[in-house]
Amino acid sequence: MTIAHHPDEEALAAFAAGTLDEPRSVVVAAHVALCPHCRAIVAACEQVGGALVEQAAPATPRAGALDEALARLDEAAPPSMVVREAAPDCPAVLAPYEVGRWRWIGPGVHWRKVEVPESEGTRVFMLKAAPGSSLPHHGHSGVEWTCVLQGAFSHDLGRYGPGDFDAADNTVDHTPFVEEGNTCICLVAMQGDLELRGWLGKLMQPFVRL
Amino acid sequence: MRHEAESITPQKAANFVRAIAARRDREAFKQLFNFYAPRIKTMLMRGGAAGEIAEDLAQETLITVWRKADGYDPQRAAVSAWIFTIARNLRIDRFRKDQRAQLHHVYELMLPAAEDPPDVPFEAAERESRVRAALEGLPEDQVRVVELSFFEGNAHGDIAKKLGIPLGTVKSRLRLAMARLRDFLGENS
Repeated sequence: MTIAHHPDEEALAAFAAGTLDEPRSVVVAAHVALCPHCRAIVAACEQVGGALVEQAAPATPRAGALDEALARLDEAAPPSMVVREAAPDCPAVLAPYEVGRWRWIGPGVHWRKVEVPESEGTRVFMLKAAPGSSLPHHGHSGVEWTCVLQGAFSHDLGRYGPGDFDAADNTVDHTPFVEEGNTCICLVAMQGDLELRGWLGKLMQPFVRL
Repeated sequence: MRHEAESITPQKAANFVRAIAARRDREAFKQLFNFYAPRIKTMLMRGGAAGEIAEDLAQETLITVWRKADGYDPQRAAVSAWIFTIARNLRIDRFRKDQRAQLHHVYELMLPAAEDPPDVPFEAAERESRVRAALEGLPEDQVRVVELSFFEGNAHGDIAKKLGIPLGTVKSRLRLAMARLRDFLGENS
């Protein structure tokens, strides 16, 4: 798999620092899971965190801190955090989340909700579009981060295949076109509402707002 | 009993973790605890956590080290980076407004299976020393942004407010710091 489009470095840094909101982190993680290049950057950022910890001035521990910790070592670990397997057509990073059923939202296009807690109006969903279809022509009221899981689409800024990451903001107004051959499935974190254009958009709008 | 460890080399730290994994070595745990717990506490307090909460999370971080020691892979991360990620995940859990947050699982689920070859161009120990060298050479204004982000856990927007500079400046300082990091890591893309 050749990945041509990556999250920018500030996004990867915020993700590694743990300061990116959950919806966008999930989409970045889906990309990172497929991209050794970005895994190396995230690992380097985590090492930055490690180096800062080592260089930090130690705080004064409360009295008996070490004994308190030693006494806990024989405690049984809490019931292991069971994470279900991800649904068969979902990436592994979605395992912790409920995923809705695919819903028809337009010719060749399906949508399903991913139950990542919304953060400042940013939600996560998956889109599935048939080969040769056009995703609805749309603009954005906020950021839209996409990771392609399967198939490919193209728009003004290039071709996006499996693993590719696309960050669009409110300056982008585009009509992604799905390649022939493979159904295209994407994981999307979107802030605000999709501003759909044209008759197809009008048809989809009530569904996509859900 | 000594309560403060002066310093701990990456190699020593890795040996302590190995000793815990191999034979539940409490002496090794003490060494790691004495060095890392007070520093994790500093990190969490600098990020705004009250002293008691920071203390509890620092303890939890080291307890997690004890429990997960056999899953630690020195090829993938230096001990300091590994401990940072444990503390980061606990911080995310503790301070998310939405208690359903599952983000800590996502960080684990995105990693390749343990049996897959590591995808870093060199070993974690090498990365550790290169990252340290890169940090040492950074100008003060970039170091500040890196600390506010990684160490204190501030979102980029909050860093801009704290420093009274535009968000774009925060991002460009971070980008410069990242570029330097990449140079040191020998990445050319």
